[in-house]
Amino acid sequence: MPLCIEPVQSQSKEIKGETMSGRVIVITSGKGGVGKTTTNANIGTALARAGKKVVMIDTDLGLRNLDLLLGLENRIVYTIVDVVEERCKLKQALVKDKKNPNLCLLAAAQTRDKTAVTEEQLKNICEELKKDFDFILVDCPAGIEQGFQNAVAGASEAIVVTTPEMSAVRDADRIIGLLEAREEIKSYKLLLNRVRPNLIKSNDMMSVDDVVEILSADLIGIIPEDTGIITSTNKGEPIVNDEKSLAGQAYNNVARRIIGEDVPFLNLEEDNSVLGKVKKFFSGLMGKEK
Amino acid sequence: MKDIFTDFYNTILGFFRQTEKKEENAKDVACNRLRVVLMQDRTNLTPELLQRMRQELIELLSKYVEMDKEALELNFEQEGNQMALMLSIPVLRAKEESEIEEAEEKEFLEDETDEKTLSEEKSDEEIEDETADCDEASEEENSEENSSEEDESVEVDAEDKEKAEK
Ligand SMILES: Nc1ncnc2c1ncn2[C@@H]1O[C@H](COP(=O)(O)OP(=O)(O)O)[C@@H](O)[C@H]1O
Ligand SMILES: [Mg+2]
Repeated sequence: MPLCIEPVQSQSKEIKGETMSGRVIVITSGKGGVGKTTTNANIGTALARAGKKVVMIDTDLGLRNLDLLLGLENRIVYTIVDVVEERCKLKQALVKDKKNPNLCLLAAAQTRDKTAVTEEQLKNICEELKKDFDFILVDCPAGIEQGFQNAVAGASEAIVVTTPEMSAVRDADRIIGLLEAREEIKSYKLLLNRVRPNLIKSNDMMSVDDVVEILSADLIGIIPEDTGIITSTNKGEPIVNDEKSLAGQAYNNVARRIIGEDVPFLNLEEDNSVLGKVKKFFSGLMGKEK
Repeated sequence: MKDIFTDFYNTILGFFRQTEKKEENAKDVACNRLRVVLMQDRTNLTPELLQRMRQELIELLSKYVEMDKEALELNFEQEGNQMALMLSIPVLRAKEESEIEEAEEKEFLEDETDEKTLSEEKSDEEIEDETADCDEASEEENSEENSSEEDESVEVDAEDKEKAEK
């Protein structure tokens, strides 16, 4: 039974009378656990909230997670492997989000490995989805082997996720090298996750500027370390749905930048919590900025 | 409540800490180590090769200037999208033209005798062995060891030549 109804006709399609061509963006990092899947779920949700038609593809075969982050794990019937092995139509395998009808997921197979899908097949899937969606976000597995090659196969843009840690930055540099070698990738942007302003202030952590300078890449987002991300993952609800959350706002800003808006970067240093105000008061008393 | 307290404590502590002069902080160490590692990743230049390059540069430049070999620095630096190879040489004095000519003559003579002394030079195999050793031990230690060793060897070479001249 198809779980995803035929996507709503997009406006551009109606007005111009031609098929739309969506942007395929791969979200990658090299290193595992830096926040690719979190970024995927949040940017996807934010873009859908902004009225874009979005489909997310989980290419992390055997280690699927994107469904959990979106709270869709119980709705998956078919996976990407079922599509390439022709057990179902592509559209049948697209799972619609609970809240947002603009958002769909093509899940990874949990019981298969990276060899179950080829680069060519992923490319074809992306081509097919481009006709119906504004954005196709591809969640890439860790590593630089076949899983990575598959994930980037259909993409023309990339977001490289990293954290301000040496090993993550080094792996990001490796990935950037591989992306630059691929003609199909027209642009890539850097997303710095798990930034901790306190550690940066005390010079215990590389700053945003340090990482940007070392990798010499364009920045598309700075996401603070936020325990809210853990609770939101537990609930299966991306943090962009929580307007008060700083990480949520930061991800929303990334989505707006992707759409082409010029959004200034959040000032993570500014602490608007009660504690922050107390802090300001005390440091004011002592006559210095903490 | 406990949080506010710890925070207050940290504020005070921070106030005193700022008055002390700090040595190199964790962030700077990380940045510097990363720059070196990325340079190696990007160029495939191993510490061993870098050392050889350094050595050959010293030999070449010694002909024209007298320099502080220990303080010579050869580093990769990033300038925008470009990697630049930065060579910093503390020059003690420039050599006289006569000295340079002398060195050239000596070189010419050496070239002629080169075929005989070829066996003294490192064979490719030996160099490969060294690289393998390098992989086993930590890179930093090794490059330091190499640099001091080879620096000395240059000086010894120079002395030998002087003696030979006499
Ligand atoms: N900004 C953040 N603040 C706090 N925790 C985060 C943040 N980003 C990611 N995490 C946590 O890090 C872990 C790894 O994230 P995930 O998105 O699965 O990484 P990846 O897909 O790159 O392996 C998860 O437990 C997630 O909740
Ligand atoms: Mg993941």
